[in-house]
Amino acid sequence: MSAEKIDRRHFIKLFVAGTTLVVGPKIVREVGPAASDPPAETSGPSPRWAMVIDQARCVGCSECVLACKAANDIPPSMAWSRLADRNGPYGEGSFLPVQCMQCAHAPCVGACPVKATYYRADGIVMMDYDRCIGCRYCEMACPYGARVFNWEAFEGPNPLVPAWGTPEVARRPRGVVEKCDFCAHRITRGLALGLTPGVDREATPNCVINCPQGARAFGDLNDPESPVRRALAEHPSFRLREELGTEPRIYYLPPRDAAEETCS
Amino acid sequence: MNPKRLHQALTQPFTWWASGLLLLMGIGAVGGVLVFTRGLVITNLSDTVPWGLWIGIDLSSIALSAGAFTLSAAVYLLGLKRFEPVARTAVFIGLIGYSMALMTLLLDIGRPDRFWHALVFWNVHSPLWEVTMCVALYFSVLLLETVPIFGRAAWLRDRWPRLGGFLRGIHRVAPILAVAGLLLSMMHQSSLGATYGILKARPIWYQPGLAGLFLVSAVVAGPALAVLASMIAARVSSRARVDDHLLDAVARFVGWALVVYLYLRFWDLLSMTYSYEPGRTEALQLLMRGRLSVNFWVGELLLGILVPMIILLSGRLRRQPSLRMVALALVVGGLIAHRWDTNMVGQMVVFSQQPELSLPLFVTYAPSLVEIVTGLGVVAYGLFAFSLGVRYLNIVEHGEASVPAGIPRLTPATD
Repeated sequence: MSAEKIDRRHFIKLFVAGTTLVVGPKIVREVGPAASDPPAETSGPSPRWAMVIDQARCVGCSECVLACKAANDIPPSMAWSRLADRNGPYGEGSFLPVQCMQCAHAPCVGACPVKATYYRADGIVMMDYDRCIGCRYCEMACPYGARVFNWEAFEGPNPLVPAWGTPEVARRPRGVVEKCDFCAHRITRGLALGLTPGVDREATPNCVINCPQGARAFGDLNDPESPVRRALAEHPSFRLREELGTEPRIYYLPPRDAAEETCS
Repeated sequence: MNPKRLHQALTQPFTWWASGLLLLMGIGAVGGVLVFTRGLVITNLSDTVPWGLWIGIDLSSIALSAGAFTLSAAVYLLGLKRFEPVARTAVFIGLIGYSMALMTLLLDIGRPDRFWHALVFWNVHSPLWEVTMCVALYFSVLLLETVPIFGRAAWLRDRWPRLGGFLRGIHRVAPILAVAGLLLSMMHQSSLGATYGILKARPIWYQPGLAGLFLVSAVVAGPALAVLASMIAARVSSRARVDDHLLDAVARFVGWALVVYLYLRFWDLLSMTYSYEPGRTEALQLLMRGRLSVNFWVGELLLGILVPMIILLSGRLRRQPSLRMVALALVVGGLIAHRWDTNMVGQMVVFSQQPELSLPLFVTYAPSLVEIVTGLGVVAYGLFAFSLGVRYLNIVEHGEASVPAGIPRLTPATD
């Protein structure tokens, strides 16, 4: 009886020690400076892409939404970019376009069980549509409602093509979660061609270059001469739900009168 | 089949019970095929409420399976050997419960063909990854724990004695399995709560208490279901025999566990009402005065905790079998209500995106027909599997020593 007990205890000890030895290093490696931690926020050589949306200029025409849906081949029932509120705190006629905020501390990246959403080296929060299992946990984690699930197979032509643009990326299969990726394909290709995202149209997200009001700016937060840095230097700005600490990379410039009232 | 045997079968209540369950399972299977072919668009799930009835079934069936690890730990780690027969029932229920959850999850994810991704592509930061990993591992533990039950069944033992002996032999590693089961269960029962608890986008969930509450409520409700199922089986089937002293003792434990649960629940809820955090306040309103208030006050607290707690802690009331069964059923119902409310309440409050304007929007969700029939199909499968277990595997058998060995139970009495 006592021998059996010692054996069992012995076994439990071995079991715990063995598990720690096998799994421990893996977990320490992953939890330490983890692969899914955001890239360092210091202003290094790597670009930090950001977008500025000027509410003083936005007239709510939705052309950014339509251009996005055509270029990314998004079905009519879904949208990566939308006009969230038509009447904001600054009264009738101010608009709030919302899309993935490209958070520096994105809740979705930590939530995804399979690392189907991850940070690219330049900080863009990407989706791996071949890995996503469609559990929709990231939708629950996103504070901005920026993620959309592909509920239905999208077959046939996109009604917005060619009037609003031509598809630049592959259509996603049914059953995965989708979102805006700052048109990462345009940035990658543009950089390879020696262009500057935010300055050259070919390297800039579709919503930015298709805004007829010039209400959107794009560029590198680390570059003092970039359009985003200049816009942020000239005007007061805010980000959505900053209190959550997600560090969104989309900045809004409020309507000027309202901003002066609030900030003066 | 000759007419005499047909008549005999038709007059047996079990035939009707089994046929009804098979019918529900058939309808559920048709619903499942529809979901797989046409996609989740035929559900009432949406981008605002992405987790609905199916997740409610997952959460409930996993929590109600917690009797397996609780009672196994009691028997093999605390040395309360006399509860071994109850633990056996609980382990079998656990196997059924986890297989129910796996089936429902397969329906729920958009890409069921990629269900294995979580096992290969690890994100150790995700509680959902941890839950998936632990559930997969624990399901294997439960399979090993259940195998001796098959080895002990007379129909298998008599036909293939060596196979039966081998399967029964696995029982020797039961203490090891109990340790593994305890570890894995403590991990994933609580990280199911943490799955909600880490989401700062939904203030009602974003708190450390959920992990502990999920674990404790599972430890309450799992053994409750094991005792309830044993008592029902003993009443309706001649093949189930229970030792009422054992069940009474487990029921008393459930009563004390309810006290612990109520205590944690009380402080959790009370402290939340002081935060006045936008989003959390609105969600608490939904629970306490809004759409979920009947569920919350009556289902979760009054009938789910208070009434059964009184019955199970009063020896006089608890010893009346019918009252004890009512109390245990209420505990099970209370757990389902808690999981449903917890899952819904965070999703029902949606924030307006404007800063300085925390206008919450309230959304609602009601499951679609296909969600309901597939859900019913999964539940029917669980009941069917348990019934077969009672009938052919003696999973509710507290007086085994007195049963003469080698009676082939499958053979009908008259033939």
